[in-house]
Amino acid sequence: MTTAAMFNGSVQRIQRTPPAYFVFVGLLIVLWLSRPNMLNINIIGIFMRQNAPLGVLVLGQLLVMRVKSIDLSGGGVILLINYFISSGLFPEASLTFFAVLGLTTSTLIGLFNGLMIGKRRVSAVIVTLAVSIILVGLVQFLSSGKPPGDVPTYFNDLYNTKLWVMPSPVVFWIALSLILAGILSSTVFGRFVASVGESGAASHFAGVPVERTIILAHTLAGFITGLAALVQTASIAVGSVRVGLDLPILSVAATILGGVVFGRGEGGVWGPFFGVLSFTFLFVVMTAFGISDPGKLIAQGLIILLAAIFYGVRAAKSD
Amino acid sequence: MSSLIRLSNISKSFGGALALDAVSLELKPGSVHALMGENGAGKSTLMKILAGVYQPDGGGIFRNGHSISFVNPKEALEFGISTVFQELTLLPNLTIAENMFLGREPRSTLFSIDRRRMNTDAKDALNELGLDLDPETLVSELSIAERQFVEIAHGIKADASILVLDEPTAALNAADVEILNTHIRRLRDAGKAIVYISHRMDEIFRICDTVTVLKDGKLVGTRPMSVMNPSSLVSMMVGRELQDLFPVRSKAFGDVLLEVRHFKIGAGTKPFSLNMRSGEIIALAGLEGQGQQRFLRSLIGQFQPFNGAVTIKGKPLPLPVSSASGIRQLRSMGVGFVPEDRKEEGLFLGLSIADNIAIGLHAACSEISLAENHRQRIEKAMASLNVKAANARVIVSSLSGGNQQKVLIGRYLAEKVDILLVEEPTRGVDIGAKAEIYKLLRNFATSGGAVVVLSRETVELIGLCDRIYVFHADTIVSEMSADTVSEQNILNAALNAEAAIERE
Amino acid sequence: MKQDFTNLLTGRQSRQGLWFAPLLVAIAIAAYLALSAPHFVGSENLLNLVAQAMPLTITAIGQMFVVVVGGLDLSVGSLISFTTAILALDGPGYLLIPAVLAFAVLVGLINGLAVTRLNVHPIIATLAMQYIVLGVTRTLRPVAGGTVPPVVLKAVNGFVFGVPMPVFWGLLVLLVGWMLLHGSRFGLHLFAVGGGIASGNEQAARNFGIAHKRITLLAYVASACFAALAGVYLAGRIASGDPNVGLGFELDAITAVAIGGTQLSGGIGSLQGTIIGALVLAMLSNGMNLTNVSPFLQTAIKGSILLMVVGLQKRKLIGL
Repeated sequence: MTTAAMFNGSVQRIQRTPPAYFVFVGLLIVLWLSRPNMLNINIIGIFMRQNAPLGVLVLGQLLVMRVKSIDLSGGGVILLINYFISSGLFPEASLTFFAVLGLTTSTLIGLFNGLMIGKRRVSAVIVTLAVSIILVGLVQFLSSGKPPGDVPTYFNDLYNTKLWVMPSPVVFWIALSLILAGILSSTVFGRFVASVGESGAASHFAGVPVERTIILAHTLAGFITGLAALVQTASIAVGSVRVGLDLPILSVAATILGGVVFGRGEGGVWGPFFGVLSFTFLFVVMTAFGISDPGKLIAQGLIILLAAIFYGVRAAKSD
Repeated sequence: MSSLIRLSNISKSFGGALALDAVSLELKPGSVHALMGENGAGKSTLMKILAGVYQPDGGGIFRNGHSISFVNPKEALEFGISTVFQELTLLPNLTIAENMFLGREPRSTLFSIDRRRMNTDAKDALNELGLDLDPETLVSELSIAERQFVEIAHGIKADASILVLDEPTAALNAADVEILNTHIRRLRDAGKAIVYISHRMDEIFRICDTVTVLKDGKLVGTRPMSVMNPSSLVSMMVGRELQDLFPVRSKAFGDVLLEVRHFKIGAGTKPFSLNMRSGEIIALAGLEGQGQQRFLRSLIGQFQPFNGAVTIKGKPLPLPVSSASGIRQLRSMGVGFVPEDRKEEGLFLGLSIADNIAIGLHAACSEISLAENHRQRIEKAMASLNVKAANARVIVSSLSGGNQQKVLIGRYLAEKVDILLVEEPTRGVDIGAKAEIYKLLRNFATSGGAVVVLSRETVELIGLCDRIYVFHADTIVSEMSADTVSEQNILNAALNAEAAIERE
Repeated sequence: MKQDFTNLLTGRQSRQGLWFAPLLVAIAIAAYLALSAPHFVGSENLLNLVAQAMPLTITAIGQMFVVVVGGLDLSVGSLISFTTAILALDGPGYLLIPAVLAFAVLVGLINGLAVTRLNVHPIIATLAMQYIVLGVTRTLRPVAGGTVPPVVLKAVNGFVFGVPMPVFWGLLVLLVGWMLLHGSRFGLHLFAVGGGIASGNEQAARNFGIAHKRITLLAYVASACFAALAGVYLAGRIASGDPNVGLGFELDAITAVAIGGTQLSGGIGSLQGTIIGALVLAMLSNGMNLTNVSPFLQTAIKGSILLMVVGLQKRKLIGL
């Protein structure tokens, strides 16, 4: 192969790499130059642990975005499960009980989303946003009677453990990512997801159950959201009426940054993983430089817009 | 007599394939000019260039010696060319009047529309055609015949000097056709030129005075209608070399695999029956839109026929088939359906050859099962298909048309079905790949399968298939055995030329 | 005659969609509230109702432009908050009001260009803009406060010949909306583009020589401008800038549009339907306030209404 061909090949490889990797490396460099003392494994572990709920939520988001859908209901679901756990509705309940309750609820909500989107064909954004609003309204209404109570201590204890050098929530997040990556690459369901994302019409003619795949994707995403909710609840000591509300849109941003945009699965599972890491470090850098919270909102929106434009322009060129 | 408009040496390619090759056409005032040719001959492309939908790659359009060009139908209209397309282009959520005047609405003030004038003018135009329709009716509320008339009225209203009608009588009954003919004659007498594209022989002979025949993108000739008759017209449209592409036809056939009885596509169409035995390749022939595709797609649920009885390998297939699960249902009965549009409906262009072939196998499994690699089957498939690619991981969009088509068919061959329903097996495929695909299909049949082929290439049908069913007006008008038939026979039947000849 | 009535009830034969049925629903709700809720029929409450319904009505009319061409504008809520923040910058009215308009046009242009030229899905583009504008708003005005120019206050809260200003706002918006949507060539072209999109043939309107990209772009600009107008009105009502005042307006606007019979797939809708939809929502809020329903529960109920109304509309596309 000539040097020119190799160069062209590399350029194409770079173009196909999701932006998340570049952003992550870039932010690491910025941090190393400006605050090198922050770059030790313990501190990084803490930052990652803080974003573990987002990381888990992203796994569900990338699954539905791969079938050209979206899930913005995570905020409401997380709030609801947090409410179950911290409201004192179930005193003396065990971890298992809360886990089962939370996961069942979130999975059912995911199923509802899936049916509305897959069978009734309602716009995914509207359905999932509406579901989130209903849940948030309900929880805020129910808890306005009494102030949010404490989260049972075994949650916090679990949150604070470490497996070797990594905090267990981070290990949990990585393990889940491995499992999802495995599902997507080795099961028939993963093949269905890839084909529905690539072309709904071709999938239909190839005999793939398109509607069922979308419904399953949303249901599974619901289950994963429940897991994210449990991790999120474990991270706080007291219940809250505003926890997790900003996570869904962040998960969209991280997923798009990681190369999973409307059917395209180039980023796989690890692109969005690094997307979350990018946002983790982005917020660290922003805080280090004294940029305010609203600045973070602007960053989120800009990243979504620019990444979407990047992929939109590329799709138009390849037509 | 000077011509109204002259198309000179028009050429047009799509993605490397030549659709029109230096075609010239002259339209004289006061004439009704038929444009004929088989499917794919280039009539539609030529007409769309005249309508402003496409721009020619070579050659030009001239009026009064001046070269003219336009980029959309509205601009073409400004040059006096009005086109009534076969795919109706009226906007369903606008009224008749709004559709007629869209883009050139009469204004009462700078911004607002003079609706009263718009409606009155529309009503006048409709009345001229003898149509008693309220111009404020939404187009979505009109019947197809009414919509067609409105489209024609739109063209007439625009005071065009050239009116192009593409299959104008497709949805009209005999009485309406007479009304249309009266108006066409009136326009002709007023000095307009009318381009009439139709497959209906009797209409062509009744109303047209000149005919231009296209074949394979080239001009065959332009003749006055007075010196033509149906057979001479048909022989202008056909006449190709039968190339040595086709494998030997089979002689041994087995059990009946597919049986169709008393199938009616619509409420008013004639019922038909057909059958197919193992080892056979049968063809569904006919000009475009005569019912063959609607019949085939009824089996997968994309079209809801009026009624019929379909039996597959002895088991009945209840009609209507569900559109969501039809393909999977057929698959479970051992039938594979290969759609005609491999780019939009068939292949996953962004995925690899292996993924494209294996997806059919995966689709038969349950979601929670592990996806098998199927490596051996894929390698075997690639070898027997002779797909020219480095390995199975190559992305399908980078393959040539012929190789892409082979991969698509390969998916269904790998699925081990008994019956293949194939739409346009060699569309956009080079000669070499065509021969290989024919061989594949014949081998499939010889090993006990059966194939239904839908194709517009009569040469292909004769060479590849054992029996040919010819469709016309939503029913089968003729069944022929391929070893005794010629292109002329098929086209005659497709045009229902026999009936036209008898009527003379 | 009977056919006409049935047509009105089912929305057939009209590009205006199903607005008559919501009108009946609105009358029913009004009647119910008049009978059961205390103080509903009082002139104070009715004026309150109109004044409160105004920003939603204005936003919903703007949203309708975008919905008719098959899109959605999720950035209007933030834009409303942003508008109040600008107006509260303690400057002269003749500078701030044009500034507000300029920003609205800018936001609309960004949305429209992303959708028409850069191939971005309208929901993604406007969702992203929502966050960008929200971030800018919260930087500009982290907490509610500031003073709004007196001209704005008078334009919203004053009286002319004894008639309260909101009535004039309503008439103005009705007139402008009607002219743009149903009277002008722009409106007809808007519906033409939407009709093409809804029937699956995006390019259908181009055959008629309609610049469908420009029309779509203008729809997004119109939505942003109407949102800004709603923001001006709100600034006059709350007499301050508030970064949270616009939260949720986008979904309420979409709900109002959908209730009024406008199809989210494009091409079908009516101004009167959208206004009725906004009134229905406003009456529900008003009624719920009068009967002391918690505001949290109110949002949950509005979310359920949105879900119901959208669930009833048919669509060919799956997903986003």
